[in-house]
Amino acid sequence: MIETGIPKLDEFLGGGIPKGKSLVYYIQPGVEGEVFGLQTIYNSLKKGDTGVFVVSSTIPDIIKGQFRDFGWDISKFKDKFFFVDAYDSLIGAPSNEKYVVPNPDNIEAFSKIIISAIKELPPSTIVFGSLSTIIDLCGEKETMQAVMTWNKMAKIYDHVLVYNFTAWPYSEESLKAIKEDMFNAVISVGGIAERVIFGQYFGILKADWTTEIKKSMLFRVLRPGGIKLYIPKILVTGPFDSGKSTFVHALSTRAISVDRLGTTIALDHGHVDYKGFSADIFGTPGQERFDPIIKLLSGESMGVFLIVDSTNPTDFIRAKQMLEITKSYGLPFVIIANKQDLPGALTPEEIREQFDLSHDVPIVPVIAKDKKGVYEAFEVLIDKITGGL
Amino acid sequence: MTDTIELLDKLIADLKKSGGVESCAAVSRDGLLIRSSMQKEQLAESFAAMSATMLGAAETASTELGKGVPNRVIVESTMGRLIAVGAGPKALLVVIVSPETGLGLILLELDKAANKLKELLE
Ligand SMILES: Nc1nc2c(ncn2[C@@H]2O[C@H](COP(=O)(O)OP(=O)(O)OP(=O)(O)O)[C@@H](O)[C@H]2O)c(=O)[nH]1
Ligand SMILES: [Mg+2]
Repeated sequence: MIETGIPKLDEFLGGGIPKGKSLVYYIQPGVEGEVFGLQTIYNSLKKGDTGVFVVSSTIPDIIKGQFRDFGWDISKFKDKFFFVDAYDSLIGAPSNEKYVVPNPDNIEAFSKIIISAIKELPPSTIVFGSLSTIIDLCGEKETMQAVMTWNKMAKIYDHVLVYNFTAWPYSEESLKAIKEDMFNAVISVGGIAERVIFGQYFGILKADWTTEIKKSMLFRVLRPGGIKLYIPKILVTGPFDSGKSTFVHALSTRAISVDRLGTTIALDHGHVDYKGFSADIFGTPGQERFDPIIKLLSGESMGVFLIVDSTNPTDFIRAKQMLEITKSYGLPFVIIANKQDLPGALTPEEIREQFDLSHDVPIVPVIAKDKKGVYEAFEVLIDKITGGL
Repeated sequence: MTDTIELLDKLIADLKKSGGVESCAAVSRDGLLIRSSMQKEQLAESFAAMSATMLGAAETASTELGKGVPNRVIVESTMGRLIAVGAGPKALLVVIVSPETGLGLILLELDKAANKLKELLE
């Protein structure tokens, strides 16, 4: 088993890609998809595997530069990481790589080099930087035939084959074969325009070694950093003075608040980078006179933190009301039992009783002031948002 | 789908080219960044959230007092101006312009762009 290193994807795939299997990243044109192959090979190098990267669309040095841009130092894997250079010969340039395809527009020449790498190397992760470029140079039918041979050989030699494929308008039957038949797993990478969220997502179309999880995740590509799952809005709401602003700042890598005279009059906004996630956090005011702003800010949340002051049960009515104002029912939400450091703070179970909440609503004890429990709470909410695995 | 995104990018790029515009952003009414071209790109998300709150608060204040929906919010400082206009029920547009920029032309450009954005998101 190798891991793709794409956050959540390994979980969705039942741990990663088993040896001998092939996977294609099926990328809509115009979407930043090539990074998927890069991140996968970097991750398996990091885990101690041997890696091969097949370069078709540019010189190997540019690809090496891309690794650097993502902050991934590949120089330390020199004796375990090899390039198949299928580009330099096209432009008549010399190559320093271990494997060089002399005629990258001839599938037999191409296949010969791939097959010798497959035979010579110990079980490796072999990533094709651009299957579409190979198709463009060698022809659809010819390339597909070769890919099937490579995939079959990889099974015998225990390699994992990973392909980046950009779904240009090739023939219907080729696209269908790629999507359905030729690979053990297909990850679709595309763009969405849903209401006002314009972004990029990936999801599993197929994975024949596991009951695949048909969940799509939004992502962003950061340099450095690579693929991060993206959550455009997490709402932090709750009664006056319960610690919403403190919570947003405790959780965020950077945050700002519009507070006057000690209370939030507009919003808190923070950005969280944590365990492969990139999320924007919106904190609301708490006082009733700002209810119009609370309503305004709460649209399009993907999840909600409801912050309560554990020493102040009289506030719980307002807390429930705020869940209604923000239309949070039906969204994943987590209750933050804040100010656990104060004497008289109710325990999460006492709060559950007072609130009359069912057992599937998580209540996390937190001391926002000391940043205690905030990341635990974040993980609980993320699990609910991503389908809780 | 991808077409809408392309058109949005063009709209923002065109607006950015207008005289004096330093930064501009299309923002959802509820504070999410749609697309932007900012001098400080890493601040785009919080800028979007602030702008939506500002315009929303101004609209609420004005309509509650019976003065109707305001045409725009202009924030003036010695370093320049920030202008936010509504672009239909889903979005708004915000620009930051340098202090020496004349208001007339940019307001015209902004209203035109806001209309386009409104149509794009319909
Ligand atoms: N003891 C204790 N005090 C806390 C904790 N978290 C926040 N506070 C304090 O509670 C007060 C209110 O905190 P804020 O974060 O401003 O609360 P808020 O919910 O944003 O308040 P509004 O925006 O006015 O509704 C401040 O004095 C904080 O220092 C905590 O975990 N323990
Ligand atoms: Mg606050």
